[in-house]
Amino acid sequence: MIKKVLVANRGEIALRVMRTCREMGILSVAVYSDADRNSMHVRYADQAFHIGPSPSNESYLVIDKIIEAAKKSKADAIHPGYGFLSENAEFSDRCKKEGIIFIGPSSFSISNMGDKITARRTITKAGVPVVPGTTDPLTSDEDALKVVKEIGLPVMIKASAGGGGKGMRLVKTKEEIVPSLRAAKSEALAAFGDDTVYVEKYIESPHHIEFQILADQHGNVIHLFERECSVQRRHQKVIEETPSPLMNPKIREEMGKHAVDVARAAKYEGAGTIEFIVDDNLNYYFLEMNTRLQVEHPITERVVGIDLVREQINIANGKTLRYKQEELSQNGHAIECRIYAEDPDNNFLPSPGLIQHITEPLGFGVRHDGYVYEGYEIPIYYDPLISKLIVWGKTRLEAIERMKRALFAYKITGVKTSIKFLEKIMNTPDFVNGNYNTHFIEENKNFLEEIEKCQDDCKAMAIIAAFIDYNNRISQAQQSIQSDKNSSDWKMCNRKNSMTRL
Amino acid sequence: MALEINIDGNSSSVELLSRDGNQHQVAIDGKLYKVDLVMVEKGVYSIIYKNKSYNVELIQGREPKTYTINTLYNSYDIDIMDAEAKYLKGRKQDELDDDSSISSPMPGKVVKILVKIGDKVKAGDTVIIISAMKMESEYKVKSDRVIKDILVKEGDTIDGHQSLIIIE
Repeated sequence: MIKKVLVANRGEIALRVMRTCREMGILSVAVYSDADRNSMHVRYADQAFHIGPSPSNESYLVIDKIIEAAKKSKADAIHPGYGFLSENAEFSDRCKKEGIIFIGPSSFSISNMGDKITARRTITKAGVPVVPGTTDPLTSDEDALKVVKEIGLPVMIKASAGGGGKGMRLVKTKEEIVPSLRAAKSEALAAFGDDTVYVEKYIESPHHIEFQILADQHGNVIHLFERECSVQRRHQKVIEETPSPLMNPKIREEMGKHAVDVARAAKYEGAGTIEFIVDDNLNYYFLEMNTRLQVEHPITERVVGIDLVREQINIANGKTLRYKQEELSQNGHAIECRIYAEDPDNNFLPSPGLIQHITEPLGFGVRHDGYVYEGYEIPIYYDPLISKLIVWGKTRLEAIERMKRALFAYKITGVKTSIKFLEKIMNTPDFVNGNYNTHFIEENKNFLEEIEKCQDDCKAMAIIAAFIDYNNRISQAQQSIQSDKNSSDWKMCNRKNSMTRL
Repeated sequence: MALEINIDGNSSSVELLSRDGNQHQVAIDGKLYKVDLVMVEKGVYSIIYKNKSYNVELIQGREPKTYTINTLYNSYDIDIMDAEAKYLKGRKQDELDDDSSISSPMPGKVVKILVKIGDKVKAGDTVIIISAMKMESEYKVKSDRVIKDILVKEGDTIDGHQSLIIIE
């Protein structure tokens, strides 16, 4: 049985894992870099080990250092959190070799699902739909015409070596096929030195919907329903909710079954997530599997009523799953907002710095997973995520109203945050109506960027506050000069000493 | 005594007429405001004006007499223009014009410097890349310039608004 867990992470997720450890009577061990000496996870843990300089590739990403800390602390298990080493097959393997339990899947599952082409093959074998297309390179114009005809327009021509939108062409009509193919090829050659391109069905208005699964070491797999993650900016999730406003019971059951099939095909153990891309007509295709705990896992915990970290630890202990699929249901609605240290008025530039003041929202139905405190300086080396605000409501509308209330009460001074941008989203009609896909932020750009009109009084109040603050500081400064003149510490010390005859 | 305050580039004349505990009477460009104002937490003022409750956050700028002020939805940059500030501003303008150096608005780390002292760069050329919180930002020159001095090296940790490269 696991008695002591080393958490190979930092920030809010390290704390979140340690909270469950504490509930289970398990001791927790923190690791920290130079920049994280005064980080909250170090303060919360039972033990803490320094693992090197601030950059993560010299600390949190160095397998040897993590293993060394685990051995020194005599931890019997390592929880990797998300990011860093969480999806590193070599790390999972190394833990096993060192006789330390890795709270996560085997290296086989990680590498099997980590590689896109292998994953696609495994999934297709399991009978789960993948985005129609071919991973074989297109060789000639005739070949391209033939393949596109099979898949059906619109399609996306993509560079095999691609990334960053280069070598990518959207094809909507038959006439565009050949010119687009040539353009994509030459662009791919210029950008990556490789003109291999392939074709994939283009999903118009895509939704990003994922399923949470739990699998034990005895072949039992359950799913904990879906999470809707379509509110994204630059492919980064901003807001997640469950249930998805798009979903219906029939498709949910079908997708859930497929998610379980994927986990079985991957011989998966632990908590994992199956991501799907879904169109407006609820056609869905497997996208990828995340072999770790997700950032947005709390909304599932809230609606299903299961602590996922506790289940991860139970699974790692070799226990049988405590729940059967038919015992699980979704109760009410949960929404998560990610609070980032970034400036929404300035192209979302990261905004590290000193937290001068923080007021966290409280009250019925609110959960706040964070790690910063007053006087803490957010380092420049890591992810800008400050915290996650999770609310629950009986209905979706109630949850939205509660989120607005919680965001209103959430105050952080000292660094810029995305709070007001999130408030805007909560007020965007397309979001309120549940009518959105991954193009949401782009399509509502004007509404989201429009600055809330304040009466002239706001400006006057700002001026008055600055003016009075300045006046107060001037008079304080003058007072301290005054008192300096009247006394000297040396004199005081001498007087005190003569009184006590030292 | 009236004081000049710059808010988002516009200047206002502000005067404290009376003060009794939390009750303040302030005139802004001749308009009278009677407010109940109290600092409730470090850097946070609660103001009651015409029975409306405002929460105003003050963030001290990098220069002593500048503030960034947040009301519920709006953010303002404010400079207190007392005699000293006016003098410094006047002197600064003589010494440097606005675009004589490249700096980053946030703290971070120098990833790459793409120029050498003496290089001639064209408008839009990237001169330095700064990384903060896993995001890299490129800093470019706005017009054709010559690199006069480079004050940092690759790998250096930098502060926000610190001069990195001097151009002319």
